Amino acid sequence: MDSRAAMLDPAVLAQILWTGLATSSYMVLFTIAFALVLKVLKLWNFAQAGMMAIAFYVMYAAVNHFNWPTAAAVALGFAATLAATLAYEVLGLRTLRARRSSSLLFFIFTLVCSEFTAYALTLIFGTEPVPLFPEILSPTRIVGSVAVSNWDLLAVCVTLVLGIALALYLRLSRDGQFLLAVSDSAELAELYGIDAKRAYVVALTIASVFACAGMYLYGSRTAVIPTAPLQLMLFAVIATLLGGMGSVVGAILAAVFLSLLQSYSVLIIPSQWQGLILYVFLFVTILFFPNGIHPGALLRRLGLA
Amino acid sequence: MEYLYSILILVGIYVVLASSFNLIIGTAGLVSIAHPIFFALGAYTAGLLAIHFGLNPFAAAAVGAVVAGVFSLMISLPSLRVSGDYLLITSIGFQLGLLQVIKNLELTGSQGGLNNIPTPIAGPERGWIFSAVSLAAAAATVLVIRWIVRGPYGRAIRAMRDDELAFLALGRDATRMKIMIFAVGCAFAGMAGAIYAFYFQYVSPEQFEILASGTMLTMVVVGGMGSTWGPVVGAVLLLALPQAITFLRLPLAYMAPLQGMIFTLLVILFLFLRPQGLVAPEAPSPVRARRK
Repeated sequence: MDSRAAMLDPAVLAQILWTGLATSSYMVLFTIAFALVLKVLKLWNFAQAGMMAIAFYVMYAAVNHFNWPTAAAVALGFAATLAATLAYEVLGLRTLRARRSSSLLFFIFTLVCSEFTAYALTLIFGTEPVPLFPEILSPTRIVGSVAVSNWDLLAVCVTLVLGIALALYLRLSRDGQFLLAVSDSAELAELYGIDAKRAYVVALTIASVFACAGMYLYGSRTAVIPTAPLQLMLFAVIATLLGGMGSVVGAILAAVFLSLLQSYSVLIIPSQWQGLILYVFLFVTILFFPNGIHPGALLRRLGLA
Repeated sequence: MEYLYSILILVGIYVVLASSFNLIIGTAGLVSIAHPIFFALGAYTAGLLAIHFGLNPFAAAAVGAVVAGVFSLMISLPSLRVSGDYLLITSIGFQLGLLQVIKNLELTGSQGGLNNIPTPIAGPERGWIFSAVSLAAAAATVLVIRWIVRGPYGRAIRAMRDDELAFLALGRDATRMKIMIFAVGCAFAGMAGAIYAFYFQYVSPEQFEILASGTMLTMVVVGGMGSTWGPVVGAVLLLALPQAITFLRLPLAYMAPLQGMIFTLLVILFLFLRPQGLVAPEAPSPVRARRK
């Protein structure tokens, strides 16, 4: 069998599909965090990269320097991320909102917070890539013809559980309903007695949970440097744009689609050029789908519905 | 002495970069952080033209500036027709995407960077001639930008920035103006890149990553966003700062992140304590206001 035929073997395609879905898990988590904050706070939260970096390095220090058990390290990582996020909201964003600052100042603030975190972590941990655990390979079993690792299963399960929990929280809880109300119109929601500030804190807290979970999955499989979260966050930004700003579900679907596209691209594109796919998609989205891709509208445009 | 010359050359280059970035972000209010990639485009274009065609450095710098200006259209044309927010996202994508291309192309020296760029001047005069060229380029940039900003076109730019809806109601074309300003600012960055390439004779992709955007942003915010002289003050001050830190005699591995932390902390402090920066933007004088 020549190499081209081998690449089109159903077993190979199924393996790429499964690995791509598992890999998309942390991307989906980062995208949910980014899309939710954009929806509720109307903020391009570039500081999310800083949150992600704090989450990873606190977990890394707890596991590798203090020999904490994994669960305690994750809890500490989340606590540190949440503390940094709340300080960012209370001391930074609230002041800018009170001053009715321009979107330019919000953007500069969020980006600079991320960069400050990256520099601080570089100073403490250096630029050497480090994984969360000394061993990044996990036990694998063959299901049908597909290799399924423990990490794959954990990643898919964590993403599904957190995604379903968020959906239920938004639909069924009072705070979740308030979040949706504030995302529609903060001013109107406040007229009805909803505390918008509280909604912002809740949205950022949820984003911290997703950022922390995503960095746990990513860091347990790949070595991380302090600037890596900036690149990961850009994926979330593009997925959010592609899914249609304000639509968390659209952003999730876009994140899965982009991850799978990157995975399947190994069949036709040399590995060093795979990173470019994301940026090509960014341009295609902005050129042809500036409001995101809504499946119904796309089908109508193509004359299929 | 060579060290002093290299500082003067960097001051000139960074004044060009900060002033042109200020034109985009401060005067026109366009949210983009991709300025380093236009700096890179100018540097790589001039370097490649000098290596492969032996082009005259002034002509190579002019081509570098034009290439940077033309490439800016690739970002501004698709994104600005939708909304200003898209410019930010597209600019980040463009910067990272193009760096990915530069890192993988053999022509640009891949990850290792482009070296052996021929120097147009050799000998002991090299330092002061390059310093003079760099500072002259900085002075010319500041004066041209001052001329643009203080003239009728500058008033139109500020009107567009402050109230785009009213600007459109007057029948003016805001998108065209934004695209033009963006291209002019990026072309200046391309010119600065050419000076950098000819003096240092080496450019590498990691010099133009997103963290480099933070340095330029710091110069503009600390100096004074929207003011003509603010970015000049910001560039000089922030180039002097690393020299001051060298006296701490810290290991090299600590110097770069420490410098980055100080820069970003300065931006945060200025955003909250003195948003107008060290040099506040000039208010239009009553005489000029009457002339309007």
